[in-house]
Amino acid sequence: MSYIRFENLHKSFGKNEVLKDINLEIEKNQLVTLLGPSGCGKSTLLRCLAGLEDVTSGKVYLDGKDITNVNPKDRDIGMVFQQYSLFPNMTVAQNVAFGLRMKKVPKNEADEKVMKMLENVGLADKAGSYPAQLSGGQQQRAALARAIVTEPKVLLLDEPLSAIDALLRRSLQIEIRRIQREINMTAIFVTHDQDEAMVMSDVIHLMNKGKIEQSANPTDMYTKPVSKFAASFIGHYNILPAEVFGKLVGEDLCCRDVVFRPEVVEISASPTNEEGRYYWQGKIIDSLPHGNILRYAVLSGDTQIDVDVLFRSSMMFDVGQELFLAIKKENCILL
Amino acid sequence: MKKKTTAAHIVIILIGIYLLIPLFATAVYSMFEKWTGLLPEGFSVKHYLTLFTEREFMSALFNTVIICIVPIVITILLVLLALFAVTVYFPRLEKYVQILCMIPYTIQGVILSVSILSLYAGSKGILDNRMVMLVGAYCIIILPYIYQGIRNGLNAVNMPMLLDAAEMLGASKLYGFFRVIVPNIISGITVSSLLAVGIIFGDYVLIRNITGTSFKNVQIYLFLEMKSSSTKASAVFVIIMMTTFLITALVLFLKNKEAKGRAKSAER
Repeated sequence: MSYIRFENLHKSFGKNEVLKDINLEIEKNQLVTLLGPSGCGKSTLLRCLAGLEDVTSGKVYLDGKDITNVNPKDRDIGMVFQQYSLFPNMTVAQNVAFGLRMKKVPKNEADEKVMKMLENVGLADKAGSYPAQLSGGQQQRAALARAIVTEPKVLLLDEPLSAIDALLRRSLQIEIRRIQREINMTAIFVTHDQDEAMVMSDVIHLMNKGKIEQSANPTDMYTKPVSKFAASFIGHYNILPAEVFGKLVGEDLCCRDVVFRPEVVEISASPTNEEGRYYWQGKIIDSLPHGNILRYAVLSGDTQIDVDVLFRSSMMFDVGQELFLAIKKENCILL
Repeated sequence: MKKKTTAAHIVIILIGIYLLIPLFATAVYSMFEKWTGLLPEGFSVKHYLTLFTEREFMSALFNTVIICIVPIVITILLVLLALFAVTVYFPRLEKYVQILCMIPYTIQGVILSVSILSLYAGSKGILDNRMVMLVGAYCIIILPYIYQGIRNGLNAVNMPMLLDAAEMLGASKLYGFFRVIVPNIISGITVSSLLAVGIIFGDYVLIRNITGTSFKNVQIYLFLEMKSSSTKASAVFVIIMMTTFLITALVLFLKNKEAKGRAKSAER
């Protein structure tokens, strides 16, 4: 039986329906990501679970209990917010101790837990500092410590790293994942960053326009998108109408769209002919380096196709050069 | 450029002298027996010594402090609770609360006191009590200042998010408000309270119209002393002025401290 369950959940703000019939199950001790573009309803869904938003209709279950109408303070859920939300008038230690005090944990025990938690997030030396004296990363670690020190049933993270620079974000992603595994806590992470979702999650729930578009583990989410939206949001898929792709490769395809990732396209200066591949020709119109990847924009007919190759001299082509493209049929996803 | 700065300094000094002359003259006058010729005669600080040992004056000073504190505390509590309810539960009503709180800006003291008297004098119950009327009148007069101070303070903190965070940690909304939000706007509350103290401290119209001379604060004491000894009245005036100066200095100090604190946070 699932640990968290949303059942026919609807949420509207006035006439605007933000969540449309959400049915979702989340297993215990997993880190699950709600991924989607801005305005898709992922934060609202998280707030419905936290109790910070009332649901319009439907049910929310946690650990087998219906918590739809339970007060947020009684749900035993921890939450980390996007803008840290540390209490500015309290020191880091006082912030972390706040939840324990609300739970009436004896002072000695609470102090011990606070220090242990601050050591765990690497902030033991900042216990007496005020939030304004901390960097963004330190503030977010303090917020994380405050949310988990009470050992809640679920930890909710609402885009907690979006205000942090890229380098620090990567190290915090790893740190959050480490802590979540260490304490074996069920966590729901909200983000609009697909790379972040890939790195951190056991399961990704991709959301679009108030609905769950696809639920899968990171590998399947990346390699097997079930819709045009999923293909366009995850990775950098080439999405071509079947008719257009059929003309390029000289075959009739009985579907609406053909999608394939840029890195599965093979390019060469001379034609090849192997079984189980589609072939066509194109001309390079642009090339852009992306770290260790070189992304070519190839024009085939009127269609632009992106092709990723490893950045090495033997695979360099010039802009304007005509070349041959090939793709294994199994790497084309027909939608 | 330098010429312009010098000219500006001279103008400021001249205005300063012009404004300070009456105060200086009053202070000098209060420290002499008489001042009929060019120079005052008979230097003495006896009025000050008398005032600070005189029971009646100390009682007037005490009354002034009490009549300052009570309405300020009541108004702060009312505004805090109103803004809590409006921000958390009825955000759409905020503009109406703002209008209501700003109305007293336009009410003159005379009109307010006469209105209160004609409405409540002779009525049965606690509202007939002149002290209750006076406290009520002061609550109305200081309402816009207190409201504005608290509102500005609340605008500077992300109240909904902090309340959400407190609630997720097991606190009720009201507890979160008083434990987390209020301490963060305490500087705004202090500044507006001190402004309110200044207003009540300097009031004569309301207290004279509502309580007559039955409740003696320093202003009423000054009014009565003016009839018996003008030099002593000057000493009373100087003490009132010094107190007002101290309040203003405290307000400026707190505002500077707040601005410096914000600048420091921003630098980080």
